[in-house]
Amino acid sequence: MNQLPKRISTGVALMLASFLFAGVIVPAAQAQMIGTDALLRAQQLQQERAAVATALERGDVRDALLKYGVEPAQVQARVDSLSADEVHTLAQNIEQLPSAGDDPLGLLFIIFVILLVTDILGLTHVFPFVNHKHR
Amino acid sequence: MVNISAARLWLGGALLSGMVGCAGLPVPRIDDLNLAPRVELTSIAFFPQDDHQCGPAALATVLNAAGAVVTPEALVAQVYLPARQGSLQLELLAATRRHARVPYVLEPQLDVVLHEVAGGHPVLVLQNLGLAWLPVWHYAVVVGFDLPQRELILRSGREPRVVVDIAEFERSWARAQHWALVITPLEQVPATADETRYLGAIAELETQQHFAAAALAYTAALARWPDSMAARFGLGNSRYGLGEFAQAEQIYRALLAQQPKLGAAWNNLAMSLLEQQRWDDAQDAAQHALSLGDTSEEAARTTLAEIRARRSGR
Repeated sequence: MNQLPKRISTGVALMLASFLFAGVIVPAAQAQMIGTDALLRAQQLQQERAAVATALERGDVRDALLKYGVEPAQVQARVDSLSADEVHTLAQNIEQLPSAGDDPLGLLFIIFVILLVTDILGLTHVFPFVNHKHR
Repeated sequence: MVNISAARLWLGGALLSGMVGCAGLPVPRIDDLNLAPRVELTSIAFFPQDDHQCGPAALATVLNAAGAVVTPEALVAQVYLPARQGSLQLELLAATRRHARVPYVLEPQLDVVLHEVAGGHPVLVLQNLGLAWLPVWHYAVVVGFDLPQRELILRSGREPRVVVDIAEFERSWARAQHWALVITPLEQVPATADETRYLGAIAELETQQHFAAAALAYTAALARWPDSMAARFGLGNSRYGLGEFAQAEQIYRALLAQQPKLGAAWNNLAMSLLEQQRWDDAQDAAQHALSLGDTSEEAARTTLAEIRARRSGR
Protein backbone atom coordinates (compact mmCIF):
# COMPACT_ATOMS: atom_id res chain seq x y z
CA MET A 1 0.00 0.00 0.00
CA ASN A 2 2.84 2.31 0.73
CA GLN A 3 4.63 1.83 -2.58
CA LEU A 4 1.89 2.97 -4.95
CA PRO A 5 1.08 6.39 -3.48
CA LYS A 6 4.77 7.15 -3.35
CA ARG A 7 5.15 6.43 -7.04
CA ILE A 8 2.08 8.50 -7.81
CA SER A 9 3.35 11.41 -5.77
CA THR A 10 6.67 11.24 -7.59
CA GLY A 11 4.76 11.37 -10.86
CA VAL A 12 2.72 14.32 -9.66
CA ALA A 13 5.87 16.12 -8.53
CA LEU A 14 7.47 15.54 -11.92
CA MET A 15 4.36 16.79 -13.68
CA LEU A 16 4.20 19.88 -11.47
CA ALA A 17 7.87 20.54 -12.10
CA SER A 18 7.32 20.36 -15.86
CA PHE A 19 4.36 22.74 -15.58
CA LEU A 20 6.45 25.15 -13.56
CA PHE A 21 9.27 24.88 -16.04
CA ALA A 22 6.94 25.54 -18.99
CA GLY A 23 5.30 28.37 -17.05
CA VAL A 24 8.60 30.13 -16.55
CA ILE A 25 9.92 29.68 -20.07
CA VAL A 26 6.92 30.36 -22.31
CA PRO A 27 5.62 33.80 -21.20
CA ALA A 28 9.11 35.24 -20.82
CA ALA A 29 9.57 35.13 -24.60
CA GLN A 30 6.72 37.59 -25.22
CA ALA A 31 6.28 39.37 -21.94
CA GLN A 32 7.72 42.67 -23.17
CA MET A 33 5.04 43.53 -25.76
CA ILE A 34 2.03 45.23 -24.17
CA GLY A 35 -1.28 44.06 -25.67
CA THR A 36 -4.13 46.38 -26.62
CA ASP A 37 -6.37 44.67 -24.05
CA ALA A 38 -4.00 45.79 -21.27
CA LEU A 39 -3.97 49.35 -22.61
CA LEU A 40 -7.79 49.40 -22.72
CA ARG A 41 -8.03 48.09 -19.16
CA ALA A 42 -5.67 50.81 -17.90
CA GLN A 43 -7.66 53.45 -19.82
CA GLN A 44 -10.96 52.23 -18.43
CA LEU A 45 -9.69 52.24 -14.86
CA GLN A 46 -8.49 55.82 -15.28
CA GLN A 47 -11.85 56.94 -16.66
CA GLU A 48 -13.75 55.19 -13.89
CA ARG A 49 -11.65 56.75 -11.16
CA ALA A 50 -12.33 60.15 -12.77
CA ALA A 51 -16.08 59.43 -12.92
CA VAL A 52 -16.15 58.53 -9.22
CA ALA A 53 -14.16 61.66 -8.33
CA THR A 54 -16.54 63.86 -10.36
CA ALA A 55 -19.56 62.32 -8.66
CA LEU A 56 -18.08 62.93 -5.23
CA GLU A 57 -17.57 66.60 -6.12
CA ARG A 58 -21.25 67.10 -6.87
CA GLY A 59 -23.03 69.40 -4.45
CA ASP A 60 -26.00 67.14 -3.76
CA VAL A 61 -23.79 64.09 -3.27
CA ARG A 62 -21.51 66.02 -0.89
CA ASP A 63 -24.47 67.31 1.12
CA ALA A 64 -26.00 63.86 1.36
CA LEU A 65 -22.70 62.31 2.47
CA LEU A 66 -22.12 65.07 5.03
CA LYS A 67 -25.60 64.47 6.39
CA TYR A 68 -24.50 60.94 7.26
CA GLY A 69 -21.33 62.25 8.86
CA VAL A 70 -19.02 61.22 6.06
CA GLU A 71 -16.37 63.61 4.79
CA PRO A 72 -16.29 63.42 0.95
CA ALA A 73 -12.54 64.05 0.88
CA GLN A 74 -12.06 60.99 3.07
CA VAL A 75 -14.20 58.92 0.73
CA GLN A 76 -12.11 60.08 -2.23
CA ALA A 77 -8.92 59.05 -0.47
CA ARG A 78 -10.37 55.59 0.10
CA VAL A 79 -11.64 55.35 -3.47
CA ASP A 80 -8.09 56.00 -4.69
CA SER A 81 -6.95 52.84 -2.98
CA LEU A 82 -9.75 50.61 -4.28
CA SER A 83 -8.87 47.76 -6.63
CA ALA A 84 -9.77 47.89 -10.33
CA ASP A 85 -12.80 45.62 -9.79
CA GLU A 86 -14.09 47.69 -6.89
CA VAL A 87 -13.75 50.95 -8.81
CA HIS A 88 -15.56 49.32 -11.71
CA THR A 89 -18.51 48.33 -9.51
CA LEU A 90 -18.71 51.78 -7.97
CA ALA A 91 -18.40 53.56 -11.36
CA GLN A 92 -21.14 51.43 -12.89
CA ASN A 93 -23.50 52.47 -10.12
CA ILE A 94 -22.46 56.08 -10.44
CA GLU A 95 -23.26 55.93 -14.16
CA GLN A 96 -26.88 55.53 -13.14
CA LEU A 97 -26.73 58.67 -11.03
CA PRO A 98 -29.42 61.05 -12.32
CA SER A 99 -28.54 64.64 -13.12
CA ALA A 100 -28.80 66.94 -10.10
CA GLY A 101 -32.27 67.44 -8.64
CA ASP A 102 -33.83 65.05 -11.14
CA ASP A 103 -34.68 61.96 -9.23
CA PRO A 104 -34.23 61.76 -5.46
CA LEU A 105 -34.60 57.97 -5.49
CA GLY A 106 -31.68 57.50 -7.88
CA LEU A 107 -29.53 59.85 -5.84
CA LEU A 108 -30.36 57.96 -2.67
CA PHE A 109 -29.42 54.74 -4.38
CA ILE A 110 -25.95 55.98 -5.26
CA ILE A 111 -25.45 57.39 -1.77
CA PHE A 112 -26.43 53.96 -0.52
CA VAL A 113 -23.75 52.36 -2.68
CA ILE A 114 -21.08 54.85 -1.66
CA LEU A 115 -21.90 54.38 2.01
CA LEU A 116 -21.98 50.61 1.57
CA VAL A 117 -18.51 50.62 0.01
CA THR A 118 -17.12 52.91 2.67
CA ASP A 119 -18.80 50.77 5.32
CA ILE A 120 -17.03 47.71 3.98
CA LEU A 121 -13.78 49.64 4.07
CA GLY A 122 -14.46 50.44 7.71
CA LEU A 123 -14.66 54.17 7.15
CA THR A 124 -18.29 54.51 8.15
CA HIS A 125 -20.68 52.39 10.18
CA VAL A 126 -24.08 53.11 8.74
CA PHE A 127 -25.23 49.60 7.91
CA PRO A 128 -25.54 46.94 10.58
CA PHE A 129 -25.23 44.05 8.10
CA VAL A 130 -21.65 44.92 7.16
CA ASN A 131 -19.19 42.99 9.33
CA HIS A 132 -16.37 45.01 10.78
CA LYS A 133 -13.36 42.98 11.75
CA HIS A 134 -12.19 45.25 14.54
CA ARG A 135 -15.52 45.83 16.23
CA MET B 1 -29.27 57.00 16.70
CA VAL B 2 -32.92 57.44 15.82
CA ASN B 3 -31.86 59.48 12.85
CA ILE B 4 -29.61 56.77 11.49
CA SER B 5 -32.27 54.09 11.80
CA ALA B 6 -34.69 56.25 9.88
CA ALA B 7 -32.02 56.78 7.25
CA ARG B 8 -31.47 53.03 7.00
CA LEU B 9 -35.15 52.41 6.45
CA TRP B 10 -35.33 55.17 3.88
CA LEU B 11 -32.29 53.96 1.98
CA GLY B 12 -33.55 50.38 2.04
CA GLY B 13 -36.85 51.51 0.56
CA ALA B 14 -35.06 53.51 -2.09
CA LEU B 15 -32.99 50.50 -3.02
CA LEU B 16 -36.04 48.28 -3.39
CA SER B 17 -38.00 50.69 -5.54
CA GLY B 18 -34.90 51.29 -7.66
CA MET B 19 -34.69 47.58 -8.36
CA VAL B 20 -38.33 47.28 -9.32
CA GLY B 21 -37.84 50.16 -11.75
CA CYS B 22 -34.87 48.43 -13.36
CA ALA B 23 -36.76 45.19 -13.92
CA GLY B 24 -39.43 46.86 -16.06
CA LEU B 25 -39.27 45.98 -19.74
CA PRO B 26 -38.30 48.75 -22.12
CA VAL B 27 -41.02 49.47 -24.64
CA PRO B 28 -39.59 49.26 -28.17
CA ARG B 29 -39.65 52.74 -29.65
CA ILE B 30 -39.57 52.47 -33.40
CA ASP B 31 -41.64 55.40 -34.61
CA ASP B 32 -39.25 58.32 -34.24
CA LEU B 33 -36.18 56.56 -35.63
CA ASN B 34 -34.28 58.11 -38.49
CA LEU B 35 -34.60 55.00 -40.66
CA ALA B 36 -35.95 53.99 -44.04
CA PRO B 37 -39.44 52.52 -43.55
CA ARG B 38 -38.52 49.25 -45.26
CA VAL B 39 -35.19 47.46 -45.50
CA GLU B 40 -34.47 43.90 -46.57
CA LEU B 41 -31.03 42.38 -47.07
CA THR B 42 -32.10 39.95 -49.80
CA SER B 43 -28.56 38.89 -50.74
CA ILE B 44 -27.81 37.26 -47.36
CA ALA B 45 -27.33 33.53 -48.00
CA PHE B 46 -29.59 31.14 -46.10
CA PHE B 47 -28.40 28.00 -44.31
CA PRO B 48 -31.32 25.83 -43.16
CA GLN B 49 -30.83 24.11 -39.81
CA ASP B 50 -30.70 20.39 -39.10
CA ASP B 51 -32.57 19.02 -36.07
CA HIS B 52 -31.84 21.33 -33.16
CA GLN B 53 -28.85 23.00 -34.72
CA CYS B 54 -30.13 26.54 -35.12
CA GLY B 55 -26.90 27.90 -33.57
CA PRO B 56 -24.53 26.63 -36.28
CA ALA B 57 -27.01 27.61 -39.04
CA ALA B 58 -27.55 31.15 -37.76
CA LEU B 59 -23.83 31.65 -37.13
CA ALA B 60 -22.98 30.39 -40.63
CA THR B 61 -25.45 32.92 -42.03
CA VAL B 62 -23.81 35.92 -40.34
CA LEU B 63 -20.22 34.66 -40.78
CA ASN B 64 -20.70 34.20 -44.54
CA ALA B 65 -22.28 37.64 -44.76
CA ALA B 66 -19.09 38.93 -43.10
CA GLY B 67 -16.93 37.25 -45.75
CA ALA B 68 -15.88 34.15 -43.79
CA VAL B 69 -16.67 31.09 -45.88
CA VAL B 70 -17.96 28.35 -43.58
CA THR B 71 -20.80 25.80 -43.53
CA PRO B 72 -23.09 25.01 -40.59
CA GLU B 73 -21.72 21.45 -40.64
CA ALA B 74 -18.21 22.75 -40.02
CA LEU B 75 -19.52 24.87 -37.12
CA VAL B 76 -21.38 22.03 -35.39
CA ALA B 77 -18.21 20.69 -33.75
CA GLN B 78 -17.31 24.21 -32.60
CA VAL B 79 -20.59 25.44 -31.14
CA TYR B 80 -23.08 22.59 -30.78
CA LEU B 81 -23.56 20.77 -27.47
CA PRO B 82 -25.41 17.51 -28.24
CA ALA B 83 -26.34 16.91 -24.59
CA ARG B 84 -28.01 20.33 -24.38
CA GLN B 85 -29.34 20.23 -27.93
CA GLY B 86 -28.15 23.75 -28.40
CA SER B 87 -25.31 26.26 -28.53
CA LEU B 88 -24.06 28.65 -25.87
CA GLN B 89 -23.76 32.35 -26.64
CA LEU B 90 -20.15 32.46 -25.47
CA GLU B 91 -19.26 29.67 -27.85
CA LEU B 92 -20.72 31.62 -30.75
CA LEU B 93 -18.36 34.47 -29.84
CA ALA B 94 -15.39 32.11 -29.57
CA ALA B 95 -16.21 30.41 -32.90
CA THR B 96 -16.45 33.83 -34.57
CA ARG B 97 -12.87 34.55 -33.46
CA ARG B 98 -11.73 31.16 -34.73
CA HIS B 99 -12.94 32.34 -38.13
CA ALA B 100 -10.97 35.58 -37.72
CA ARG B 101 -13.95 37.90 -37.39
CA VAL B 102 -14.86 40.35 -34.62
CA PRO B 103 -17.96 39.33 -32.60
CA TYR B 104 -19.76 42.41 -31.28
CA VAL B 105 -22.68 42.01 -28.86
CA LEU B 106 -25.16 44.84 -29.42
CA GLU B 107 -26.80 47.10 -26.87
CA PRO B 108 -30.03 45.31 -25.85
CA GLN B 109 -32.44 47.55 -27.74
CA LEU B 110 -34.54 46.89 -30.81
CA ASP B 111 -33.68 50.22 -32.45
CA VAL B 112 -29.99 49.22 -32.33
CA VAL B 113 -30.79 46.00 -34.21
CA LEU B 114 -32.77 47.98 -36.81
CA HIS B 115 -29.89 50.44 -37.28
CA GLU B 116 -27.47 47.58 -37.94
CA VAL B 117 -29.81 45.98 -40.49
CA ALA B 118 -30.28 49.36 -42.17
CA GLY B 119 -26.48 49.60 -42.27
CA GLY B 120 -26.36 46.35 -44.24
CA HIS B 121 -25.45 44.00 -41.38
CA PRO B 122 -27.66 41.00 -40.56
CA VAL B 123 -28.07 40.51 -36.79
CA LEU B 124 -28.02 37.16 -35.01
CA VAL B 125 -30.58 37.15 -32.18
CA LEU B 126 -31.41 34.77 -29.37
CA GLN B 127 -35.10 34.19 -28.71
CA ASN B 128 -36.97 32.27 -26.06
CA LEU B 129 -39.97 30.93 -27.96
CA GLY B 130 -41.30 29.21 -24.85
CA LEU B 131 -42.02 30.67 -21.44
CA ALA B 132 -39.70 32.21 -18.89
CA TRP B 133 -39.96 29.06 -16.72
CA LEU B 134 -40.07 26.61 -19.64
CA PRO B 135 -37.64 28.07 -22.14
CA VAL B 136 -37.35 27.06 -25.78
CA TRP B 137 -34.18 28.74 -26.98
CA HIS B 138 -33.76 29.62 -30.63
CA TYR B 139 -31.22 31.51 -32.71
CA ALA B 140 -32.39 33.42 -35.79
CA VAL B 141 -31.01 36.16 -38.03
CA VAL B 142 -32.78 39.50 -38.57
CA VAL B 143 -32.36 40.51 -42.23
CA GLY B 144 -35.04 43.15 -42.69
CA PHE B 145 -37.94 45.18 -41.33
CA ASP B 146 -41.11 46.90 -42.46
CA LEU B 147 -41.89 49.70 -40.00
CA PRO B 148 -45.34 50.73 -41.36
CA GLN B 149 -46.44 47.08 -41.16
CA ARG B 150 -44.61 46.66 -37.81
CA GLU B 151 -42.86 43.55 -39.06
CA LEU B 152 -39.40 41.98 -38.91
CA ILE B 153 -37.97 39.64 -41.54
CA LEU B 154 -35.88 36.71 -40.28
CA ARG B 155 -33.89 33.77 -41.56
CA SER B 156 -35.04 31.22 -39.01
CA GLY B 157 -34.76 27.46 -38.65
CA ARG B 158 -35.73 25.86 -41.94
CA GLU B 159 -37.44 29.01 -43.22
CA PRO B 160 -35.45 31.36 -45.46
CA ARG B 161 -37.93 34.20 -44.92
CA VAL B 162 -40.11 34.47 -41.85
CA VAL B 163 -42.17 37.61 -41.25
CA VAL B 164 -42.94 38.27 -37.59
CA ASP B 165 -44.84 40.96 -35.75
CA ILE B 166 -42.40 43.33 -34.03
CA ALA B 167 -44.20 43.27 -30.68
CA GLU B 168 -44.33 39.48 -30.73
CA PHE B 169 -40.63 39.28 -31.56
CA GLU B 170 -39.83 41.76 -28.79
CA ARG B 171 -41.50 39.50 -26.22
CA SER B 172 -39.54 36.39 -27.23
CA TRP B 173 -36.34 38.43 -27.47
CA ALA B 174 -36.89 40.02 -24.05
CA ARG B 175 -37.15 36.53 -22.53
CA ALA B 176 -33.59 36.00 -23.85
CA GLN B 177 -32.33 39.27 -22.27
CA HIS B 178 -32.35 41.03 -25.67
CA TRP B 179 -29.19 39.21 -26.77
CA ALA B 180 -28.02 40.21 -30.25
CA LEU B 181 -24.74 39.69 -32.09
CA VAL B 182 -23.41 41.45 -35.18
CA ILE B 183 -20.42 40.30 -37.23
CA THR B 184 -19.27 42.74 -39.90
CA PRO B 185 -16.73 42.30 -42.70
CA LEU B 186 -13.33 43.27 -41.26
CA GLU B 187 -13.26 46.47 -43.33
CA GLN B 188 -16.51 47.69 -41.72
CA VAL B 189 -17.39 48.84 -38.21
CA PRO B 190 -20.91 48.05 -36.88
CA ALA B 191 -23.18 51.09 -37.32
CA THR B 192 -23.91 51.35 -33.59
CA ALA B 193 -20.48 50.31 -32.26
CA ASP B 194 -19.21 51.90 -29.05
CA GLU B 195 -15.55 52.86 -29.46
CA THR B 196 -14.13 51.25 -26.33
CA ARG B 197 -16.27 48.11 -26.48
CA TYR B 198 -15.56 47.51 -30.15
CA LEU B 199 -11.81 47.99 -29.70
CA GLY B 200 -11.98 45.55 -26.81
CA ALA B 201 -13.60 43.03 -29.16
CA ILE B 202 -10.78 43.48 -31.71
CA ALA B 203 -8.18 43.23 -28.94
CA GLU B 204 -9.44 39.69 -28.23
CA LEU B 205 -8.63 38.80 -31.82
CA GLU B 206 -5.17 40.31 -31.36
CA THR B 207 -4.65 38.28 -28.17
CA GLN B 208 -5.45 35.12 -30.12
CA GLN B 209 -2.83 36.12 -32.69
CA HIS B 210 -5.19 36.70 -35.63
CA PHE B 211 -2.94 39.62 -36.54
CA ALA B 212 -3.90 40.05 -40.20
CA ALA B 213 -7.61 40.21 -39.35
CA ALA B 214 -6.96 42.47 -36.36
CA ALA B 215 -4.93 44.86 -38.54
CA LEU B 216 -7.86 45.21 -40.98
CA ALA B 217 -10.35 45.73 -38.15
CA TYR B 218 -8.14 48.30 -36.40
CA THR B 219 -7.70 50.16 -39.70
CA ALA B 220 -11.48 50.36 -40.12
CA ALA B 221 -11.82 51.50 -36.49
CA LEU B 222 -9.27 54.27 -37.11
CA ALA B 223 -11.31 55.46 -40.10
CA ARG B 224 -14.39 55.68 -37.80
CA TRP B 225 -12.53 57.17 -34.80
CA PRO B 226 -9.42 58.93 -36.17
CA ASP B 227 -8.29 60.04 -32.69
CA SER B 228 -8.56 56.62 -31.09
CA MET B 229 -5.40 55.92 -29.17
CA ALA B 230 -6.22 52.21 -28.70
CA ALA B 231 -7.01 51.66 -32.39
CA ARG B 232 -3.62 53.06 -33.45
CA PHE B 233 -1.83 51.17 -30.71
CA GLY B 234 -3.60 47.95 -31.74
CA LEU B 235 -2.70 48.50 -35.39
CA GLY B 236 0.94 48.84 -34.35
CA ASN B 237 0.72 45.63 -32.32
CA SER B 238 -0.87 43.79 -35.26
CA ARG B 239 1.90 44.92 -37.63
CA TYR B 240 4.46 43.79 -35.06
CA GLY B 241 2.67 40.44 -34.78
CA LEU B 242 2.86 40.08 -38.57
CA GLY B 243 6.60 40.67 -38.39
CA GLU B 244 6.32 44.08 -40.10
CA PHE B 245 8.52 45.84 -37.59
CA ALA B 246 9.31 48.99 -39.62
CA GLN B 247 5.59 49.65 -40.17
CA ALA B 248 4.90 49.00 -36.49
CA GLU B 249 7.61 51.53 -35.62
CA GLN B 250 6.01 54.20 -37.84
CA ILE B 251 2.60 53.65 -36.23
CA TYR B 252 3.93 53.86 -32.66
CA ARG B 253 5.83 57.05 -33.58
CA ALA B 254 2.68 58.61 -35.04
CA LEU B 255 0.81 57.70 -31.85
CA LEU B 256 3.56 59.13 -29.63
CA ALA B 257 3.52 62.39 -31.57
CA GLN B 258 -0.03 62.81 -30.21
CA GLN B 259 0.39 61.01 -26.88
CA PRO B 260 4.00 61.50 -25.78
CA LYS B 261 3.30 60.16 -22.28
CA LEU B 262 1.91 56.79 -23.33
CA GLY B 263 4.44 54.43 -21.75
CA ALA B 264 2.94 51.35 -23.42
CA ALA B 265 3.63 52.84 -26.87
CA TRP B 266 7.24 53.70 -25.91
CA ASN B 267 7.71 50.13 -24.73
CA ASN B 268 6.28 48.57 -27.88
CA LEU B 269 8.27 51.03 -30.01
CA ALA B 270 11.40 49.78 -28.23
CA MET B 271 10.37 46.21 -29.09
CA SER B 272 9.90 46.99 -32.79
CA LEU B 273 13.31 48.75 -32.84
CA LEU B 274 14.88 45.79 -31.09
CA GLU B 275 13.55 43.45 -33.79
CA GLN B 276 15.28 45.71 -36.34
CA GLN B 277 18.48 45.39 -34.27
CA ARG B 278 18.67 49.16 -33.79
CA TRP B 279 20.08 48.74 -30.31
CA ASP B 280 20.67 52.40 -29.37
CA ASP B 281 17.23 53.59 -30.52
CA ALA B 282 15.60 50.61 -28.82
CA GLN B 283 17.41 51.30 -25.58
CA ASP B 284 16.43 55.00 -25.64
CA ALA B 285 12.77 54.16 -26.20
CA ALA B 286 12.76 51.56 -23.40
CA GLN B 287 14.47 54.02 -21.03
CA HIS B 288 11.80 56.58 -21.89
CA ALA B 289 9.02 54.07 -21.12
CA LEU B 290 10.69 53.30 -17.82
CA SER B 291 11.04 56.97 -16.87
CA LEU B 292 7.31 57.59 -17.32
CA GLY B 293 6.62 55.20 -14.46
CA ASP B 294 3.06 54.32 -15.48
CA THR B 295 1.46 50.86 -15.66
CA SER B 296 3.90 49.77 -18.35
CA GLU B 297 6.94 50.23 -16.09
CA GLU B 298 7.39 46.53 -15.40
CA ALA B 299 7.19 45.57 -19.08
CA ALA B 300 9.72 48.31 -19.89
CA ARG B 301 12.15 46.88 -17.36
CA THR B 302 11.92 43.44 -19.03
CA THR B 303 12.27 45.02 -22.46
CA LEU B 304 15.40 46.86 -21.40
CA ALA B 305 16.95 43.67 -20.04
CA GLU B 306 16.07 41.89 -23.28
CA ILE B 307 17.71 44.64 -25.36
CA ARG B 308 20.91 44.46 -23.31
CA ALA B 309 20.99 40.67 -23.53
CA ARG B 310 20.48 40.54 -27.27
CA ARG B 311 22.88 43.39 -27.93
CA SER B 312 25.68 41.56 -26.19
CA GLY B 313 24.75 38.42 -28.10
CA ARG B 314 23.51 36.79 -24.86
